[in-house]
Amino acid sequence: MSDRDMSAAVQVLRDEVLDTVEHGDRDPPGAEVFDALLRALSIGGESVPGLDLTLHESVARRLAWGDSEEVVLQDAELMFDRLLVAVDRAFRDPADRMVVVEAATQVAVTVARVVSLAAVSRAARDRADRLREEMSQRQLHEVLEKQKATIARLEADLKSGFR
Amino acid sequence: MSASTPPPGIRVAGDTNVGSVRTTNEDSMIVDPLRGLYVVLDGMGGANAGDIASQMARDAIAEFVMHRRSTMTHRQLLEGAIQAGSATVFAAAQAKRERHGMGTTCVACMMIDPARALIAHVGDSRAYLLRGGRLQLLTRDHTIVEELVDRGLLSPDEAERHPYKNVLSRNLGARAETRVDLVELELKPGDRLLLCSDGLYGYASAEAIQYILGSGDAPDHVARDLIELALRGGGGDNVTTIVLEAPQAVPSGTQMVRTNGAVAWWQRRQRFLHVAKDRGLTKNPIVRGLDPSEALDLVGLSLCQAIFHDLEKSTGVNVWTFAQTLAGGWFERGGDWASLRGMMDILGTSSRVVVDEIRMIDPQLGFLLDIAVSRALVVAELALGGLLAERLRQVDTDLIQLHSAQQETIDGTIEAPDESDTEVGGPTADKFIDRPTIPFLHPDRAITNSGESNEVITAIEKTLTIARARTSPRAELVKQVLSALEAIATDGGGNFATSVLAARDLYGIRTVDDNGIMPLFDALDQARILTASSVHQIQVPELVRARALRAISAAHQRLVGAATGLVLEAAAPFTDKLREAQAKTSELRDQVAKAEKRRAELERKFATGVDPSLPWGSRGTTEW
Repeated sequence: MSDRDMSAAVQVLRDEVLDTVEHGDRDPPGAEVFDALLRALSIGGESVPGLDLTLHESVARRLAWGDSEEVVLQDAELMFDRLLVAVDRAFRDPADRMVVVEAATQVAVTVARVVSLAAVSRAARDRADRLREEMSQRQLHEVLEKQKATIARLEADLKSGFR
Repeated sequence: MSASTPPPGIRVAGDTNVGSVRTTNEDSMIVDPLRGLYVVLDGMGGANAGDIASQMARDAIAEFVMHRRSTMTHRQLLEGAIQAGSATVFAAAQAKRERHGMGTTCVACMMIDPARALIAHVGDSRAYLLRGGRLQLLTRDHTIVEELVDRGLLSPDEAERHPYKNVLSRNLGARAETRVDLVELELKPGDRLLLCSDGLYGYASAEAIQYILGSGDAPDHVARDLIELALRGGGGDNVTTIVLEAPQAVPSGTQMVRTNGAVAWWQRRQRFLHVAKDRGLTKNPIVRGLDPSEALDLVGLSLCQAIFHDLEKSTGVNVWTFAQTLAGGWFERGGDWASLRGMMDILGTSSRVVVDEIRMIDPQLGFLLDIAVSRALVVAELALGGLLAERLRQVDTDLIQLHSAQQETIDGTIEAPDESDTEVGGPTADKFIDRPTIPFLHPDRAITNSGESNEVITAIEKTLTIARARTSPRAELVKQVLSALEAIATDGGGNFATSVLAARDLYGIRTVDDNGIMPLFDALDQARILTASSVHQIQVPELVRARALRAISAAHQRLVGAATGLVLEAAAPFTDKLREAQAKTSELRDQVAKAEKRRAELERKFATGVDPSLPWGSRGTTEW
């Protein structure tokens, strides 16, 4: 089967692999991974940089909408499990099954890499933000100490009737 | 003008590597800051003559500069030195038959003063200038094709595809005298010069070179990273790099920390020890039994030294080692976490007190040190985190073994076990880990290889054996992944526990950054490619092959999921700590706002004599 035919044959499995019914016209969870699989099949071979870039965008979009990295990965795992079952049923020729499984594994590793990188970047940002927070806290402490001293002085002056 | 001693403030480093393909390094170099002379030579010629040529030329150039530098101008000196190199190599080539045809390229830089450099070159070794983040090529390769382009006989496109594009038109050794191209260069603060052999630019793009050269890292790091870049690009040739950095006009923050910051920190070590003692360092259980001064030396002074060395070199390796040694030794003695945490808190707060004091004297330096010391303490925390992860993994394994042993004892006492209690081929480890340690990796996910025939299991084993055999001997992590895949894919009773344990082994002690994580995923990807191609080499029916690949792929996916889960687990505490810090800052802001309000009220009252909080507005008589 040609790359184009293979991609089209897997495209048919979309509704079986993804929860399209529950999500109506919106992209169901794991759609970005399924689309990445179709792209991997249509280019028919190793193209990790291209795959990475598009997946980065899709995953970044999901994270930006508030999904956690865990949820993104869980959706990908679910899609992968369902895909294995659907491929066994849908493809008669073992060679065709192998092509899809190979591509799916490539996509799974790429998704994991992208999600991990996102988590690592977030950790680095959080670490830097925490350092900034701690610096702010030190400055606020200084301000507070000064304010307390001023208040104490004013209170003492007022109490002694000094103007 | 005569040659002078090298200008101060110039930072320089050179490095060379034989590459991934060749067995001998025919490149040579001179890095001589005393005379301000930096040279890269790339030898050529069969029967080991290339390395001889480049070394002869190197020695001749160095000797010429050493003996003539007081009598010649820079231009005469550099050109003369290269001519001397050429004459030496030519004479040696003529003297022995097997050395006929040997030669070497040469690119050289001689510093005239801190703001001027003289570049000379023969052949296709190159000099680049990085200015304002942009990389410029300063030399033009002396190849036949380049000369044809110059004469208008070839277009640049044709030159790129020309079969003789690497044939040199000039080199040192082809004749007794050669033509040397010289260019004088005005340097601006922060400019970086790169001298390199074709082993670098032949295997790395100009963009990548520009990126690394402009990274801001120290020249020794840059020289090494450029070589690493060429090796990653294939490393088909010997590669040599020399990186020079013109002095910065104003010291950067990093430089300030490295010099003044490190010194200021070290000068206050006694103060640090005093504060640490006040805060209870000598009473911590970790140093129980030690004399107080010994305890302070062993823990406090060691950290002080580690921070000093890390500040000096802008690294974290010393603090990392300190934290690992301290925590590792304590845990080995059966120590508890709370004491270690307490000790780290004492050290952390004491160092902050010292930094705050430096800040009072020199606000700018104090600010920079604050960041640098905070960074060092974060490194220490990461080291502790790594150790804890290691211990956790060990505890997991111990518990599973204990549980297995216990289960075997129970099974042995029951003569006829109930059928309904027995899982099909399930090892006890699966029953034990009934709750995943990675939140989204559920043990109830479908078992990928249940009911696989022996034929498929054998095919899986054969595939992974072939993949292992094809793995590079140095790729230990890839081999580890392949073994893990075999364990998971052939695990007849489900693969949840196996994949979690295998992922923990793979994850090991890693820092939560790109350098820590990427090798893991590179290895996973490499293993995937190896298994996908190895499965086609086993002699089995197509259907069995497909089943084997399916099981391996499912195992791969499990392993990748578990490994990613560990990355996410490792990253989570950073967010938690940030939330805590944000909450604390917010609380402090509220306190400041309240205090400000109170202060304003008091000042108003002080100015008017009326307490605005009183309903009658009379002169203030309220008791505070």
